[in-house]
Parts: sequence; C-alpha cells; structure tokens
Amino acid sequence: MKGTPRMVDEALEEETRDLLARRAARLREQGESSVEEAVHWIAEFPLGEERYALPLESLRAALPLRMVTPVPLSEPAVIGVLRFQGQVLSALSLASLLGGHGWRQDPAVLLVVDRGDGELCALDCEAIPRPTTLSLASVEAARVRAEGPVMEVFTHDRQLIHLIDPKRLFSVPDAGVRHGR
Amino acid sequence: MAVDPMLQPLVAGFAIEAQEVIQKVTMDLLELEREGLENDALAKIYTRLGRHLHTLKGSAASLGLQDLGDIAHKLEDALAPLKATTQKMPRPVVDILLHGLDLFMLRAQAHADGRGELLPDPAAALAQLVASAPPPEAAAALPGGAFAQVVPVPQTSVDTGMQGLSQGSAGGPPTPDHQGESTDAGWRVSARQVTSLMREVERLREVRLRVEERSRELERVSTLLAKQGLLAETAEARTLLSGTGRSLRTDGEETSDIVDALEDGLKAITTRPTRTILEPLQRMVRDLSRQLGKEARLSVVGAEVSLDRRLLEKLQGALVHLLRNAVDHGLEMPAEREKAGKHHEGALTLRVEQQGNLLYLEASDDGRGIDLQAVRRVAEKRGLVTADELVRFNDNQVRDLIFSEGFSTRSDVTDTSGRGVGLDAVRATVESLQGRIEVASTRGQGTRFVLTLPVDLGSSPVLMVRALEQFVGLPMLAVESTQLARADSLRLGKRRAHLEHLGQLLPVVDLGARLGLRASAPPAEGQPLLIVQSGGKRVALVVDAVVGDRDLVIRPLPSEVRDVAAWQGAATLSRGELLLILRPDWVVSDSEKVAVSAGSRRALVVDDSLTARALHRASLEAGGFQVHLAASGPRALERLAADTYDVVICDLDMEEMDGTELIARLREKKETRTLPVILVSAHDSPSARERGLESGADGFLSKRECAAGRLLAEVLDVMSRRGSRA
Repeated sequence: MKGTPRMVDEALEEETRDLLARRAARLREQGESSVEEAVHWIAEFPLGEERYALPLESLRAALPLRMVTPVPLSEPAVIGVLRFQGQVLSALSLASLLGGHGWRQDPAVLLVVDRGDGELCALDCEAIPRPTTLSLASVEAARVRAEGPVMEVFTHDRQLIHLIDPKRLFSVPDAGVRHGR
Repeated sequence: MAVDPMLQPLVAGFAIEAQEVIQKVTMDLLELEREGLENDALAKIYTRLGRHLHTLKGSAASLGLQDLGDIAHKLEDALAPLKATTQKMPRPVVDILLHGLDLFMLRAQAHADGRGELLPDPAAALAQLVASAPPPEAAAALPGGAFAQVVPVPQTSVDTGMQGLSQGSAGGPPTPDHQGESTDAGWRVSARQVTSLMREVERLREVRLRVEERSRELERVSTLLAKQGLLAETAEARTLLSGTGRSLRTDGEETSDIVDALEDGLKAITTRPTRTILEPLQRMVRDLSRQLGKEARLSVVGAEVSLDRRLLEKLQGALVHLLRNAVDHGLEMPAEREKAGKHHEGALTLRVEQQGNLLYLEASDDGRGIDLQAVRRVAEKRGLVTADELVRFNDNQVRDLIFSEGFSTRSDVTDTSGRGVGLDAVRATVESLQGRIEVASTRGQGTRFVLTLPVDLGSSPVLMVRALEQFVGLPMLAVESTQLARADSLRLGKRRAHLEHLGQLLPVVDLGARLGLRASAPPAEGQPLLIVQSGGKRVALVVDAVVGDRDLVIRPLPSEVRDVAAWQGAATLSRGELLLILRPDWVVSDSEKVAVSAGSRRALVVDDSLTARALHRASLEAGGFQVHLAASGPRALERLAADTYDVVICDLDMEEMDGTELIARLREKKETRTLPVILVSAHDSPSARERGLESGADGFLSKRECAAGRLLAEVLDVMSRRGSRA
C-alpha cells in the first residue's frame, strides 16, 4: 500500500525539531574542532594485561569464535579455517603472532581483518573491540619510531595502546609464525 | 573451386566432422605402424580405416567437393593392397597417408572458410602424394601435424599447393568450437557469465545440504515429541511435523536432481575431454621422432577426463613443449638405447588425473635423464647463477634451473630446440593457472614432469572420514575400496604394518598419526581401512570412522595454510562448517619421516578452548615437545589410554569434566598415577590455585601467566621434580 509521503518537517513535533537542531549544532562544533586535531579511528581490545588496537578501516567484521575447523600440521599460530561470506579464511592466534602473550580469558571473538594485501583473515580476541580515536599526529610519530608491526601510541589520557599495522604484520614471509615487538 | 552458396553452411559442419574422422584415422594409422599386433587386430583396424576414408569420400562428394573426394579416393587406393594382405603398415605408407590427411583437412578448412575459390588445382599435389612420400621433416615441422588447423601458419602448405591459404585467416582457421558458436544453432556467452552461473549452482548445492540438515532436525523434533507420550495435544503437531518432514525430504531429493542436472549441463558446456588435446600430440611425437631419427611411442592415460576448455587451451602449448623436449633431449637414438639395455623405441607417457579440485598432469620419458653437471655448467655460463650459489644448491635446486629463462643445454639452435625458450614458458603457463610444476629425473632412466593445477568449477565426490575428532574428506577418485582391519591380513613389522591386499603388501598409514593427532599404532581389529591410490602408489589408510560420501564444492585454502602439503582445499558442510580435503598424493607419500619426532617428549594439552589449545601447542612445540590435543576430559582419558605422555597441561574449568576430576581419574590408575599434570585457569585467584593444587596437580598457572616461555619453564620444572621424585 502506498501512502501519501509527508514532508519530514510536518511529521516532527516542534520539540523534536529543537532537539535535532541542538544536536546538529553540537556535531558542527565537533567537526570544527576535528579540523584542528585530525584523528585516527581504531578498534581497541584487551590482550592479556595490555590494550591493543587495529585501524578501524581494516576491520571487516567481529564474529563469535565458533565453526572454526582446526588445520592439523599448520603453523602454530593458525587456529583453523572458517567460512566468511563464501570465502575460506584462516583464523589466527593474535597472541601467538605477536609472540608470547598471556591472556585473561579465552578468546571468544574473531575479528575479520583486511591484511593490507587485499586478502582477509580472522584474528582471535578476548572481547568485542571498542571503537575510539587516537591523535593522527601521535600515530604517525609512532609509525616512524616502530620497526615491527606494533606501534606504541599514547591516548589523550596517557594510556598506552599497542596499535597493530596489519600490512606490516602480514608482510613478513612466514607470517604464520611469530612477530615480536 | 567454389562451393554452392546453398551448401556453404553444410560445408562448415562437414569440416568439423572431417576433423573428428581424421583424428580417428590418424590414431589408427599410428596403431598400424606398431610392431607386434595380432592379425585379428590389424584386420579390424584396416576395416575401420577403410570405412572412415570412405565416409570422408562420400561426405565430400555429396557436397560437391570433388577435390576432397579425389584425395580420399587416392588414400583408399594406397590402403587397398595392404588391407588385402593384413600386414603391418610400412612407415613410408603411413607418411603418405598422414600427408594426404593434412592435405585433405587444409582444403576442407579452406572450403569451410569460403576460400575454396583460391585453392589451386589439386592434381599436382595429388600426383606428388601418390608418386613419392613427402620427407617426414615437412610433417614434423608442423606443431600438431595433421591437426595444424589449430596452429597458425601450416608449413606444409608449401608443398601441397596451398600457398596463400594460411594468410587468408589471420591467427589460423577457427577451431570447431568457435565454428559451432558462429552458427545459428548456438549463443555467444562470456566465460564470466557461465562461471557465475556455475557459482550459483554451487550455492544451490550448499542450500541442498542445509535442507537435508533441516530435515534431520525436524526428525529429531518429531522424536522428542513422541517421547512426551501419546498426548492428544501433541498428536496433531506430530502428524503435521511428520508430513512436513516427508515433503521436505521429497523436495530435497528433487532439488538434488535439479542441482545435478544443472551442474552436468554446465560442465558439458564448459568442459571437453582431455583427449581432444592429447591425441593430436601422438602425431606430433611420431613425426618429430622420425625427423630426428629416433623411435618413440606416446601412451596416454586418463584421456577421458573432461576439463575446463580454457584450461585445456592454455595447457596444450605447455604439453607440446614438454613432449618435444622429451623427444629431442630426453630420448636416446635407437642404437644407443639398445646398447643401454633399453627397448629401441622410447616410451613417453602422459597421465591425466583429477582428484577433487586438483588436476595432475604427468609427462614422463624413459630416456637419458637430466645431466645435472651439464645443467650446472650451462647455468653458470649463461649467468643464471653464480658459482658460489651453485655450490650451495642441492640436486633439486640444480634441476629447477632448467625452468630459468634462456636456459638450454644445446649449443646449437635447431628446428626443435636450442633457443632457450620452452620450459620457462611452460612454468609461466602453469603458474598463470595458479598451478605448479615439478621435475624428477634419474640419470639413465628418464625424466618426469608433474603439473599440479587447481580445477575450480563444480563439485567433486568426497568420502568423509574421521580421525579422532577431526573430520576430513578424501577425493573419491583416490579411494579404491574400504574394508575392516583383520588380524590375519595384517603383517606387523618393527617399524610399520602392512596389509595384504589382492596379493600385494600395502603400507598401513594411520591418518591420526600422519596428521600429528596421536602416536602411530597398528589398526585395531575391525577398524576401517581405506585403500588409497595416487600416482600409482597405494596405501591402506587407517581411520576411526567412515562417515559417508558427499558431493562437495572444494575451495582453495587461504594463503596462511595453502602450503601445508596435506590439504588441497576445504568444502562447506550443511551447517556452514568447513571440511578439510586431503591431498591423495600426500597420503600415499612416504610417511617414514613422520617417525623422526618419535623420540621427542610428548605433551597432551586438554582445553575446551580452541585458541588456548593453539597457544599452548605453540609454546610447547617451540620447546621441542610433540604435542597432542584433546578438547575435553573424556577425550583426554581416551588419548591417555592409547598413548603415553610425559606431561599433561589441562584447563581447570571445562564443561564436560573439569581439570580436578580429570586428575582424580588419572591418579586412580597405576599407569598415570605419577604423570605430571599442570593445571591452567583463566581464574587467577588464590582459591582457584588452592583448589587446583589440592586436587593433585603438580603445577598451576593462570592463563595470564602463560606468557612467553613461562608455560614451558613450568612444564620442564614439573617434569624435573617428578623425575627426581621417581
């Protein structure tokens, strides 16, 4: 059934319109301030006692860690393979890839990540990541300092985040083995 | 000599038919040239040959193609005296007939292309054909010989009065397939359209599997309802469910039939038998060996396998290169062969085998093999490697140098080789198809090239089996038979067991051990055994259960696991989970090397978290342990009953049986009473630690503490303490 389309304004109460106007003004202010300080969006998650993050742009999905088929005789960092949107992906142990991490609880989440070479893979994770931002300048500075695939970046409140560069993590030929920091 | 315009469409069809008949005639001629055929066999071939030539003559005449009728008639004349006496056909006569067939086909193609008017009078060519056999060099120079219509610029046109014809069709005359597409009877579709249709059919097959699963779930619900008793409230629901279940099964079966029919139809469109590219190679081998004064016979195994047309077209050139190389470089002259104790006729073999989504193409010869010293010398001289690098190279690496660009051991350039173009092109072709090429060679005995290529369209029959908790698939084509282990057919040796099977002793391979899931042990009475073959090798594969066969679409593995030799791909099962598919060539390969870790220390990791098992395994393997895994307490007890371990690392909190209960069970048994056990827990609290140690654990670690080296250090410490106590 097709109804007569109503103008948006007609459908809104005056009070609602005011509320939306105030929100829009706030967002405009945020936009202006973000011009002053560019930010880098990240997906942050715990790994043992430390905080790690992946660039949000590399994250494709967060899935429950199930339906993973172990692959006997594969590299130790390989947890198994799973099906994601018709593709077969590897599920990899991030703690193992990064070398010798303990963990607080058994990972229950898989993060589907663009490896930076057009291929996808899944990394295990203790909890669903939280989207947040880092100052772009601090990320760039950390990138220059870092030699491996993990950059140490401080947040505004001086918390240390280990930011993973997927391209560097997977560019090493034996990416299934270990990558110390 | 123009064709009646009304008959022109029929001439195109005739050219296709003629090519098929000529392929058969060529094969018969090559057969007649062989030695040692019985009279009966010879007579049959002569009769068939005569019939084919007569067909060619009759069809040509019915279309008013008098020149072709005359050629076929002359060929019949040449055949007649031999047919009467039923004898082996002398080589010069075979040459004449093959040459005549070339002439016939080139002219037939010209008529089909509407270039009949340009054809010269066939009288001169016919006179030459009958008067004297053409030098075999002329025919041999033609890649593909009589079937040169698929190869541009037929060189024989010079002495068959066909000048100017090849220029008339840039890039060579069309193949029969192309002609078929150009007629009104068909459609032009892009490969992408057909591929995407095939993908949809593959999806439908997966949907079909899911429907099957839903049907099983429905049956389970019906069974549960039935257990509630014969309550009137549920009676109607049960009746309804049973009816729905039956309908679902019927629908599922119909879907299955439709999927099969769709896939068969699409395969018929997209594939053609491998023989269409292999049989013409017989002629090429024959002509080239004649040209070089050698004797060679090509045997083809698996010519009936149907493959993607695009793949076949790309492979044709690669196979021509490999066979020309084998005849030119591999095979010795007849006298040299006899001196070396070989048959004067060199044996070339092409074997085609598809297993699951992998195609194996093997080209082998029984010639002189690759001279590694010569390869080293040439590679260094041509600057392909330095002397320092060569010193470090093993034999396989040296052998691989023959695939380098510009490599040739010939110092002179001949018609067939010496230009350094060939094997690098073959490798490039194979790699462009995501395949790989390997070479094996034994000096004095021969050379074997094996091409392994992915075949990515359609489903394959797979046998699903289980080893411990791991389900895996085996391409059905590799499974010859299944049987249950019986003590009287097993021969147990010190290092391995053998199965007596049809008069042969086959090595027994335990799949669980081969996959590193458990220690190797002889099969128990009644345990399933699969006779698996690949590349002529056979083994008896021990599995824990045979689940059944499925038609599955096998997908390639991601890059992180693509190089694991055991696996060729993964297929989706009904619930969306993946089934790994074994490579049969890996299954039958020598498994003796697996035993090298038998002397190392063994650890059993028990954890219901897949990722925790992976992490513990990584830590312990880095410390030199051989690690086996169990996903629950009961599975761990099964493993411990079958194998011996030096240490157990166990999760404290598991659903089915927690760590303390497992320890209690271990301490009850004499064999495991003193086995070191380390408990690991996500709970890092004094109470958890106390609970763990009180249960009899030798050590306790929180998962947080399992950082680099800590687990390994604890394991070694606990083992040392246990050892000193013992």
